[in-house]
Amino acid sequence: MSALKRKRGGKGPGGKAKKVKLVENGNKPQTTEMEQNKEITVPPPVSMGKWRNKERVLVFSSRGINFRTRHLMQDLRTMMPHTKADTKMDRKDKLFVINEVCEIKNCNKCLFFEAKKKQDLYMWVANVPHGPSAKFLVQNVHTLAELKMTGNCLKGSRPLLSFDPQFDTEPHYALLKELFIQTFSTPQYHPRSQPFVDHVFTFTITDNRIWFRNYQIIEEDASMVEIGPRFVLNLIKIFQGSFGGPTLFENPHFESPNTHRRVIRMATASRLREKQMVKELQKLKRTENKEAVTRDVTDDVFATPAEERPVHIELEAPAAKVVKKNKHKAFKRQRKQNR
Amino acid sequence: MVFGPQNHCLYPIILVNNTMDIIEDDEQLGETSEQDSELSDGELQDAFAKGLLKPGLNFTTQEPKKIVNNVEGLKQCLADFRKNTLPWIERLDMVNLPADDIVAKSEGRLDNKASEDINPDDDFQREMFFYRQAQEAVLEAMPRLLKLKIATKRPEDYFAEMAKSDQQMQKIRKKLITKQIMMEKSEKAKKLREQRKYGKKVQVEVIQKRQREKKAMMSSVKRYQKGMTDKLDFLEGDQKTAKGGAPAKGGAPAKGGAGKGSGGQTPDKKAMNKKGPNAKRKYKDQRFGFGGKKSGTKWNTKDSHNDVSGFRAKVAHGKGGKGGKGGKAGPGGRGPAKGGAKRLGKNARKKMKGRS
Repeated sequence: MSALKRKRGGKGPGGKAKKVKLVENGNKPQTTEMEQNKEITVPPPVSMGKWRNKERVLVFSSRGINFRTRHLMQDLRTMMPHTKADTKMDRKDKLFVINEVCEIKNCNKCLFFEAKKKQDLYMWVANVPHGPSAKFLVQNVHTLAELKMTGNCLKGSRPLLSFDPQFDTEPHYALLKELFIQTFSTPQYHPRSQPFVDHVFTFTITDNRIWFRNYQIIEEDASMVEIGPRFVLNLIKIFQGSFGGPTLFENPHFESPNTHRRVIRMATASRLREKQMVKELQKLKRTENKEAVTRDVTDDVFATPAEERPVHIELEAPAAKVVKKNKHKAFKRQRKQNR
Repeated sequence: MVFGPQNHCLYPIILVNNTMDIIEDDEQLGETSEQDSELSDGELQDAFAKGLLKPGLNFTTQEPKKIVNNVEGLKQCLADFRKNTLPWIERLDMVNLPADDIVAKSEGRLDNKASEDINPDDDFQREMFFYRQAQEAVLEAMPRLLKLKIATKRPEDYFAEMAKSDQQMQKIRKKLITKQIMMEKSEKAKKLREQRKYGKKVQVEVIQKRQREKKAMMSSVKRYQKGMTDKLDFLEGDQKTAKGGAPAKGGAPAKGGAGKGSGGQTPDKKAMNKKGPNAKRKYKDQRFGFGGKKSGTKWNTKDSHNDVSGFRAKVAHGKGGKGGKGGKAGPGGRGPAKGGAKRLGKNARKKMKGRS
């Protein structure tokens, strides 16, 4: 949360003095000061009276959020200067209390983060007095502080919003697109905004989810670097009223995180159960009575059909064999002898 | 709805057994299986009469869940909600497909532009898709913004607070630098390892070469000492071929024998190097090699006498015009290993033998 708190007086047109705040590295807009005829206070960089689009977004959460969600909220407040913060809402209160909170703060949009079981994060985007609202499951949150996000942009500069063409095809996506545009785009001439457009928000639909990215525009030829934050929204339901009312749309592809976890658990459980069953079957097979087979089935494999010879018992030792080593030599000598 | 006797429960109950006590116990325990089905006996009988129930065991199942998609309602809501008075400049929204993928095009791959086609599990492809979508948005929006006179580049002297503090950017920069350094280090280490392997190979080769040369030198020295040759050409060869390592070698054998030297050792030494093992190899191949009748091949016939193909002029003349052996060569294929240095006569050899 930025330590900066602007003291605002009335919102009268023209001549409203703004105190210059200290930037961390000590660079003050000295030049503008000099330009303004040596006035002590610097008039706002954007001309007052032209701010017509009075959008204000209330960004807050319920209790039980973790550090990542908190940082995400802070980052959203940094990126969007037309936001206001509020204290954490008690879980006991019903959701329509949020409408009253928004009215008190004079906001007409709301981004409400709800954490359940300290694991799942849900986000509500609502147009507060009458308009539609949508509930999402937020996944894959990466904040500004991650060192892999190397881009940087002016604080409060106006974003360019880029949508996937799929947003125009379905009516529920079209409604979401309108909601996002009105929530995320910084009004022109907002007192806290910077007049330059130097970053882009992209919303893409893939895998039945909405992917949000934030890129910094470095060059005019559209070379870019990611600033962050980034997250993935999984639509659950769209309601006609703000935080209530009849359901206009329900996402058929949505699987609640509980169901998802349950499915995983059941899969592992069933695998274990199967293993156990197989083991038990094997045990049974081992212990069951095995019948003694009296007749060998393979007995007649070696039965050769031939007549039996009479058994001849030799009582005398057989005659010793003549060892003929050098056959031909003996033969030769014999031949010579015999000649 | 049928109420059984003796029960004061307001929920409809199916009486499956007539023992009242048990039912009461069930009530007290809160057993609700009968209560949930909300169909009494009478109703079941009616349904069966109408033909809605089929014979057999009937379960009450839940209806398949209906998913709400109120298209009309959505459109109506959108129409109410949309702020048509807002000009584009307030919203700055674009709808675009991603820009052309230059890399894929250069590789000749079909680039699929629609967002349904990308595989969400392939991280790189997915992120590149988002990147290109943002690029396309910027490319389309630039001219529009220029027309409306909104700048996208901030001037150099415009200092304002950035979304990430300078500290954060320093951290990021440091991390990038350390990553780069690590990569370079690993590259260097790899190269060093390669070099060492290569260097080892080269070293081994050099050592082997030196050993070979030493062996050759020693053997030639010995032969001279034993009187098998009468020339000291091998000394010259070393001095000529090895540039500045030779004097030590050349000096040692000079002590042992007379400092005779004749020119032209080098090419013969080279020849020796070429033919030395080759001749032996050739002979062995010829004797034990592949195929063919070997035993009856060498006969001293008229033809073999007249055959001069095995004559090597250099060898025969002893390199330098020595007409010792005349025009005919010695045993086929075999010349004296040391070019030019001839085998001495028997008496000379005896003398040399005595000497060493």
